[in-house]
Amino acid sequence: MKLSLNSQSNLFRAVLSILAGFVIVGVLLKMSGYSPLQCYQALAEGATGIRSGKPINLSDRGFYIGSWQGNFSPYTFAQTLATITPLLFCGLAIALGLRAGLFNIGALGQMTLGAMTAAFVGAIGAHGSLKPVAGSLPHWAHVPLALLAGAVAGGLWGALAGYLKAKRGVHEVLSTIMLNYIALNLANYLAMHNLKDPNPSNMAAQTGLIAKSAWLTPIVAQSSLTVGLLLAVAAAVGVAFLLWRTALGYEIRAVGLGAEAARTAGIPVSQILIKTMAMSGALAGVAGALEVMGIHHRFVQGTAGDYGFDGIAVALLGGSHPFGIVLSASFFGALGNGANFMQIQTDVPKTIAVVVQAIIVLLVGLRFRRTESAKPLVLAEKEGRKDG
Amino acid sequence: MEWVPKRWKPSKTRSPREVCSLRNESKVGYNLLMSAPPQNRDEMNENSPPEYAVRMENITKRFPGVVANQQVALRVQAGAFHAVIGENGAGKSTLLNILYGRYQPDSGRVFLHGREVTQSLHSPADAIRNGVGMVSQHYALIPALTVLENVLLGAEPTGFGGVLKCRAAITRIHELANQLQIASLDVNQRADSLSVAAQQKVEILKALYRGANTLLLDEPTATLAPQEAESLFTLLRNLVEKGTTVLFVTHKLREVAAHSHAVTVLRAGQNAGDFITSETNEAELLHCMIGARSNSAGQPLIPFGDVTETEGYAGDTWAATRPAVSGSPLLQIEAVTVRNSRRVEVVKSATLELMHGEIVGVAGVDGSGQRDLAEAILGLQTVSIGKIFLEGSEITRDTVAQRYQKGVAYIPEDRHRSGMILDFSVTENYTLGHHRQDNWGGGTLIHPPIMTAHTAAMIQQYDVRISELGALIPARSLSGGNQQKIVVARAMQSAPKLLIACQPTRGLDVEAARFVYRTLEQARREGLGILLFSLDLEEILQLSDRVAVMFNGRIVTVLSTAQATPEEIGAWMTGAKTGGTEA
Repeated sequence: MKLSLNSQSNLFRAVLSILAGFVIVGVLLKMSGYSPLQCYQALAEGATGIRSGKPINLSDRGFYIGSWQGNFSPYTFAQTLATITPLLFCGLAIALGLRAGLFNIGALGQMTLGAMTAAFVGAIGAHGSLKPVAGSLPHWAHVPLALLAGAVAGGLWGALAGYLKAKRGVHEVLSTIMLNYIALNLANYLAMHNLKDPNPSNMAAQTGLIAKSAWLTPIVAQSSLTVGLLLAVAAAVGVAFLLWRTALGYEIRAVGLGAEAARTAGIPVSQILIKTMAMSGALAGVAGALEVMGIHHRFVQGTAGDYGFDGIAVALLGGSHPFGIVLSASFFGALGNGANFMQIQTDVPKTIAVVVQAIIVLLVGLRFRRTESAKPLVLAEKEGRKDG
Repeated sequence: MEWVPKRWKPSKTRSPREVCSLRNESKVGYNLLMSAPPQNRDEMNENSPPEYAVRMENITKRFPGVVANQQVALRVQAGAFHAVIGENGAGKSTLLNILYGRYQPDSGRVFLHGREVTQSLHSPADAIRNGVGMVSQHYALIPALTVLENVLLGAEPTGFGGVLKCRAAITRIHELANQLQIASLDVNQRADSLSVAAQQKVEILKALYRGANTLLLDEPTATLAPQEAESLFTLLRNLVEKGTTVLFVTHKLREVAAHSHAVTVLRAGQNAGDFITSETNEAELLHCMIGARSNSAGQPLIPFGDVTETEGYAGDTWAATRPAVSGSPLLQIEAVTVRNSRRVEVVKSATLELMHGEIVGVAGVDGSGQRDLAEAILGLQTVSIGKIFLEGSEITRDTVAQRYQKGVAYIPEDRHRSGMILDFSVTENYTLGHHRQDNWGGGTLIHPPIMTAHTAAMIQQYDVRISELGALIPARSLSGGNQQKIVVARAMQSAPKLLIACQPTRGLDVEAARFVYRTLEQARREGLGILLFSLDLEEILQLSDRVAVMFNGRIVTVLSTAQATPEEIGAWMTGAKTGGTEA
C-alpha cells in the first residue's frame, strides 16, 4: 500500500507546516503586544479541557465550560471532539474527490442539502408541532433513516456536479460553486416558507424541531458530542478500505493519477467521476445531517457553517489520506475550539486560529507545487522522443 | 550589407553523390558536396553564395534514454531553400529546436552567417535576435487576439510610458503582407477565425516582422490540404527569391523534390547524406532515409540470430521463414469510418482482415489515421460507420473492458500517457485493467498481496530491472525499457487472441527492443494475431506477414511483405502511388 512510502514524508511536512504556522502567528501576537506563550497555553487548555494553572471560572463571563473533574473539563474536551466530527466528514469528502482528480468545492452545498433533508425526514411524526414530540418512528429506525436521507441528498447534489463534469465537460470547481448557491438559497427558502418553524414567535430562517426519535443524545451532558464522531472515524476507515482494498477505489485512484491510462485500460472514467462525486457529496451530506440531529435539532440557516471550506484545509493538510485526515481534522477541531477558550482568557480574537489555519494551508500548498515540478523533466523527455 | 542571390544554383563542378551508406563517410560526403565557405569576398565565384546562413557542427543532443542527435552537421547556404528529411524520430525537430534556441546541444557548435553563436543561443529570444524565426508544428498564435496583436506580441513598438504605437507597425505589416502576397489579410481579424493555412502565414509574418532572415519550418504541410501546401511553397519560394534562407523539416519526399535546392537526410539521429535536389531523385532519397536493414552498430536490429539458435529459424526475415498463415479470420474490419471530436473523418472506410497467428503491419506517415484506427478497434473511439468482428462476432459497440475480456490486448503508443500511471506502483500498473479479475487478485475487493506475488513472478520472467523495493516503487522510477516491459507483460499475460501493438519499441534501446520482438514472435507462434502499428518501416517489414499502408485516413493498399520493397511502401505512404479506385 501507498501508505508506507509517502505518508512519512507527508506527516513530516505537515508537522513542519503546523510548527511554522504557530511560529509565524506567535511573532504576530508578540508584535501586537500579547504573550504568545500565554495565548498558546490557553489555546491548549481550551482544546484539551485540561487546565494547568489556577482554577478558572469562566461561567460568569458567559462561557459555559461545564463542571470540573479535578483539572479536567469533560465538557470542553467533548466540544473539541464535536468540532472534529464535521471537519472529518468534510475532509474525507474532499479527499475522496481529490483522489479521483476532482476538486469538490461543493461540500458546503452538499452538507446544507444533507442537513435540510435530514431535518425534513427527522421531523416525521413532528411536522407542525410547536414543542418537541417523541415522533412516530422508533429511535433505532428514525436515526439511520434521517442520516441516510442526508447522505442521499448530499450524494445526489454531488453526483450532479459529477455528471456535468463527465458528460458535459463542466469543470467541477465552477459547477460546485454554483450548486453551493443553489443549495443554500433553496434550503433557506424552504426554511422561510414551506418548512418554516411554525412557532409564531420565530422570525429566523429555520425549520421546526425534528422529532425526538431522531435526536442524537450527547455523550457528555450539554455538549454537542454525539455518536457522530464514531461514525466519522468509521467513515475514515471505510474510505481507506474503499481506496486500497476495492476495485472501485483502485479505479478512482487510477482516474485521478492518469485518466488517459485508466480509459485505455477499460475503466469507465465518466462513471467513476460521477460515483466519486456522489460518494463525496454523501459524506458531506452526513456531516450536515449530524449537525441537525445532534446539535440544533432543526435546520437553521447557516447550519453548514464553514465546514465545507475548512474541509479543504483538512484534506490538504491530511495529504488526502483518510488517516492523515483523522489527524488533521483533530488538529483543526482542537484549534477551533481552543481558540474560543483563548479569546475569553486572553482577549486575543479567536479568528487568529483562522490565520494559523490559513498559513498552514499555504505552506502545505507550497509542498504541492514542489511535487509537480517533477513533470517538466518528463515533458522534456517526451518532446524529445516525439521528435519528427 | 545584404547579399541577394538572383538564383541560387549549385556549382557545376559538383556531382551527385550518395553518401548515406556509412555514417563515418558522411563527413567526407560533405566536403565533396560543399566545399568550405569562402574566406573572403575575393575568392567568391559570382554564382556561389558568400557564406552559410546556418552552420551546425558535431551537434549531439541526448534526452533521457535517447540520443536525438549524434554528431550531426548541417550547412545551409544563405538564400537557399533547404530541406531536412528523415523518418519519425530521426532527430529533425530536435536539430531545428536547437537552432531556435529551445534546446541546448550537449556538444557541438552553431554558426549563423559565419559568426559562432553556440554560447549565446539560450532561448528563442536569442535566436530571434540573431535573425532566426521558426514556425513550429503547433502554431503559437493566441486564438482570442487579432492578427495584429499576435504579430506584435513580444515585439510591441511602444512610445512614451509604454503606449502602443500601432500605426508604424501596421504599415510595416502591410508591407510584409504585400511581399508575401497575402495582402487580403485583415489584421484586425481574430486569430481563431483564420484557417490553419492562414494561421501559418501569420506565423511566417510574425517571424519576418521580428526581422528573421532565416526561417525554420517544422513539418509545415503536415496539417495542410494539397492546394494549401502548394500556395505555402509559392510563398516560401518568393521569400527565397528575396533573399530569405528557408530551412524546412519534412518527411514528404515529393515536397523536397519539387521545391528545395538542397537536402540533408537524417537517420536515427545521424547524418545520412547531403544532396543537391536537382541532382538526385526520390528513390535515392528514400533509400537514404530508410537505409539498409541494419542499425547503426552494424547489427541486425531484430534478433534473427537468437531465434535461429534456439528455434531453428533462419533467413532474412521472420515473415519469410514462417509457414504460410491459414485458418479463420481473427479480426475483420469492415468499411470502418471514424470521426474525431470535430467531426472530421480521420479513418475513412478502412477494411482489413487479420488471421490467427498472423502479424499485419500498418504503415504510414505520422497522423495518417493509424492511431485512430487502433483506438477504434479497441473501443476508445466510436466507429461512425462500419463494423468490427472478432472471431466472427461483432464487437463494434462493445465497451473497452468487454473487448479486453474477449481477448483483445493493447500496447499503447504513448507509454507515459496511455500505457502507465507513473505514480502508481509497479504492481498497480501491472494489474491495471485486470484489477477486476479473480486470478489477478482482483475483483470487487482487491487483494494486494496476491497482486504483488503475480508482479514478482512477472518481474522474474520478463527480467525487469528493479531495485530491491521491488513491486512497490512507483513506475516513474523505472527506465523506459523496463516500463515498456511491464506494458508488454500486462498485455501478454492476459492470454490474448488479438494484440494491437502501437509503436511497441518506441524509445527503447536495442536490447529492450529485441526483447519485445522476441515476445511478440513467440506469442504469434502460439496463435496470437498481431496488428502492428509502427512508423518504423524497418520494424514492420521485418516482423509482418503483410503490410497495410495508410494514407490520409485510408488503407490504400495491403501488400505481402515478401514482395514489398521499402520504396514501394514509401510511395504508397506518401501518396505518390495511389490505387485506381482511390479518390
